[in-house]
Amino acid sequence: MNSNFINSSIERTQFEPTNPTEAPTAKNVLTLAVEMGDLLLRNGGEIYRVEDTILHVLEAYGMENYDVYVLSNGIFASANEDRNDSCSIVRHVPLGSVNLDKIAAINQLSREIAQNKIPVKEAWDRFLEIKEMKMHPQMLMNLCGGIGSAGFCYLFGGSVLDSLIAFFIGIPLAFFLAYMSSKKTSKFIMHILGSAYVTLLSLLVMYLSAPVHYDKIIIGCIMQMVPGIALSTSIRDLFNGDYLSGAIHLLDAVLTAMCIAVGVGFMIAIYYFATGVMP
Amino acid sequence: MILTIIIQFVVAMIATGAFAIIFNAPKSEWIPAAFTGAVGWIVFFVMKEFGNSNMFSCLIATFFLTLISRMLAPLRKCPVTVFLLPGIFPLVPGAGIYYTSYYFIMNDPKEFWARGLDTFQEAGAIALGIIFALAIPKSLLKKVFRKN
Repeated sequence: MNSNFINSSIERTQFEPTNPTEAPTAKNVLTLAVEMGDLLLRNGGEIYRVEDTILHVLEAYGMENYDVYVLSNGIFASANEDRNDSCSIVRHVPLGSVNLDKIAAINQLSREIAQNKIPVKEAWDRFLEIKEMKMHPQMLMNLCGGIGSAGFCYLFGGSVLDSLIAFFIGIPLAFFLAYMSSKKTSKFIMHILGSAYVTLLSLLVMYLSAPVHYDKIIIGCIMQMVPGIALSTSIRDLFNGDYLSGAIHLLDAVLTAMCIAVGVGFMIAIYYFATGVMP
Repeated sequence: MILTIIIQFVVAMIATGAFAIIFNAPKSEWIPAAFTGAVGWIVFFVMKEFGNSNMFSCLIATFFLTLISRMLAPLRKCPVTVFLLPGIFPLVPGAGIYYTSYYFIMNDPKEFWARGLDTFQEAGAIALGIIFALAIPKSLLKKVFRKN
């Protein structure tokens, strides 16, 4: 499937201009609800929240006989099933990167829709604003990648020098991860290359006989890739009874952990062949 | 001891805060998210200092972490996710993943299985911690922590 096509859902589901005084059409309401759910799911919301949001929006605008089923990479929803204007939407949502800002904003919007019943058009405009919300600047994110790596390196028993080195290894890593995600390359390749890069540089620093704990540096830096989000999302999905989605995220977590292990192990093996000594 | 705990708390707060920014948390929630993660880590750290196992420390720490996220959610009018996702990172067994693959390459089966088991136990403890904290009814938390 063409990724352009997936991302252009807004163009695909045009919002019909309506008279604000009339009752909203089923198509418009369902489009709004599913688009909000899509954005939540895409940015790391758990299944229960997505379903809940869609149902609340549909209910707030007076839909009847609606139903929704959400998986971790798909949404199926219908409204006004037994009426002339019945309507349904199926949406494919690829697993994406997390954006908590958008989750919080959609949450706020859905709360306002449920409480104040703002007109559909206004809600749609608000939704578009949220969808276009800017990420924090890339430089800040890279810097934070470095700071995070340094911090975790220290927490897991590294010295101050280790943390400093983790900081400088972590910044390019954050940049690399962001670049690979934006190019939509395979997550496997991204994690294997990322952890291999971290291990290579850490071993290099040790090889230059700097007094460092290279293992702590590696651990600090791979924290940027460890599947903490997949793990906690998976558990919450399982807790809410969404077993299939929970299993998908759990598989994601296990595979990510394995990819990191492969990248690290690969580099250590190369180091062994190159120098003849185990690090 | 007190000094170590303070340093650990501050560093955990900085690290978690940095991760909150990476995940694009809203600006107003950076500090609460960082605080959540730091509390989780400090519970883990102190439990370990008192000689508890990795697994048990992780369980209790995750429980408090999730509980605090759920308390902050109604207070800050923000979904639990915003606090829980960055906060969980200090407890994720990153070190376990590393050492497991290291001993795999080192061809040391005994250490490999031990570290692998450790990693799985910690992940399982995180799961249980979250589940226990989620089991507390939402209405109860809302009643206590709704700001009005």
